[in-house]
Amino acid sequence: MEGEREGGGRGDGRRGSGPPEGRPPPDGPRCAVPPAGALYGGLPRQAAEELSLQPQGSGEAKAFVSAFLKRSMPKMKDEAIQDVLSRKAVILEHYAKKRKKQKRKKTKSFTAKQRREMRLFEIEPEQQRYAIFLPLHELWKQYIRDLCYGLKPDAQPQMVQAKLLKADLHGAIVTVTKSKCPSYVGITGIILQEFKHVFKIITKEDKLKVVPKLNNVFSLEIDGFISYIYGSKFQLRAICEPGFLAN
Amino acid sequence: MSAPLRRVQQAPRHLLVCEKGHARHPRSRHAAHVRDHAYNCRVSILIPECGILPEVLKSTVADFGVYYLVKNLSVHELVAHEFIDSFVKKGSCYALTYNTKIDQDNTAALLPTGKLILSVDKDTYEELGLQGRPSRYSGKKAMRYIITIDLTDSDFHPDGKKHKRVLWALKEKKPLEFDFLMAWYNTGAEGSTLMSYFPKNQIRALKPKITFSTLRDLQCPALQSNELEGKPEESCSTEELFEWLGAVLNQVNLDNKSSSFISTYCCPQPNTTVDQAFLCTITGFIIPDKIIQLLEQLCSYFSEPKLAHWLTLTVHGFADSPVSWRENEHGFHKGGENLYNFVVFRNLDYWLQMAVGTNDDCPP
Repeated sequence: MEGEREGGGRGDGRRGSGPPEGRPPPDGPRCAVPPAGALYGGLPRQAAEELSLQPQGSGEAKAFVSAFLKRSMPKMKDEAIQDVLSRKAVILEHYAKKRKKQKRKKTKSFTAKQRREMRLFEIEPEQQRYAIFLPLHELWKQYIRDLCYGLKPDAQPQMVQAKLLKADLHGAIVTVTKSKCPSYVGITGIILQEFKHVFKIITKEDKLKVVPKLNNVFSLEIDGFISYIYGSKFQLRAICEPGFLAN
Repeated sequence: MSAPLRRVQQAPRHLLVCEKGHARHPRSRHAAHVRDHAYNCRVSILIPECGILPEVLKSTVADFGVYYLVKNLSVHELVAHEFIDSFVKKGSCYALTYNTKIDQDNTAALLPTGKLILSVDKDTYEELGLQGRPSRYSGKKAMRYIITIDLTDSDFHPDGKKHKRVLWALKEKKPLEFDFLMAWYNTGAEGSTLMSYFPKNQIRALKPKITFSTLRDLQCPALQSNELEGKPEESCSTEELFEWLGAVLNQVNLDNKSSSFISTYCCPQPNTTVDQAFLCTITGFIIPDKIIQLLEQLCSYFSEPKLAHWLTLTVHGFADSPVSWRENEHGFHKGGENLYNFVVFRNLDYWLQMAVGTNDDCPP
């Protein structure tokens, strides 16, 4: 309906010039002849009488149309119907091109499946030897000592415990002391990788063990300080550390 | 009536299984049932129409064996291969922790079949590191776990992983120490005894305590061996007999005097009054082999004609034992009873009644 031209009808917006040259007005009884060339014209009274029609006045016609549309499209609201009826002009030339929404260029990353296939975080069996990771443990001990401002014997255990909770545990030697599943109890080794829910620990027998964090109690020992940490407490910390959780 | 009062008036859930048989029948299972019930703390014999200890029982009662109380024994010593080879594999070794409550503390028991049963609470189970299963009577959140270790298993040799793990758990991870009641029955083979195995200051030998008494003017129910249900006006049923026996052994007055408010229990009808009845009670850590001997002697009591129509042998198990029959779990709800009772008749028919409490599996 948008492209509908504002036509003649009822005498507004007459386009076109007068009657074309050379054409005499049609014969017949004299009545209100709409200017020739207009697209629409009101039904002449004579024609209406001949066809025994009753032309409606403009007000009645409008009301009839509104009522008819409302009955035909009950779900549409009144405002929508009026909107449809009001004729809008559409400019055919020189209109602004609709800008296409820029498709967001996704950063080049892999899905979890692809990451798992690439096996970024796997350690090869040749490298699964306990002796290789002992220097890592030494490094970790040094890191913890620095973190706790030197582990003096008179240092407060609470402070050390708090620091240990937030510290990075790669290279720590842990033991599972209590567990809901008894077969995890007693596993001792160096933490190689820390994931969201598990630890990968290498034991003295060069076995790589995957130990879940939940429902387990780990004991860490550093310079005579033994601290028992509940596995569920590990998960809550360090979520804000950038690039930490590789799951 | 308010709910707590109503619960007090209701008896706690219990189970009584009655069996009938003949002692000399080849397929009679009386010996099997006795043997399956490993830990017995009291044996009572009631013989109506008898005043003194009968001849047949004299020898058995006089030598009722000896049991040992070992203090502060670590459980890992029971798992040591020396112990297993000397005692568990030869003969039958019985061990039960002493003075531990089955619903509160950790308990250990060594069955004659060579199985070591540990009944531990949740914290101990999580620290110990040995695989077990939650107790059947501990509800939705398991607070009690049962660990079973088979010491006679072929995989349990000294170099095996199983043995290493068990030893590590019981020795280094979480050492468990208890006072044990122990007994060892071997069929005459030579070898060291328990007394010589453990250091002198730890172990003490004890003999079961035996008492005799004669009851006068006792009302005894009349029983017919082939009528377990009892015929009205002719004999009493097994339940009535069981209740009457419990009353007699607990020295409850059966006359229902109007002045006494303690008990209104009467002997079930039909009954007879006997002049005297002999009651013998043996208390201690009694092993099933001795009870089988006793039962045999009681059967031979009727080889000579006697006035009595029947006699009873009642055996009580420990209230805090982790197992009742074979490896059925035993718990203490409001009473930890697990007992059985033989009624032996003149013609060597017997009735066997086995009773357990609330947190118990059905007896076999």
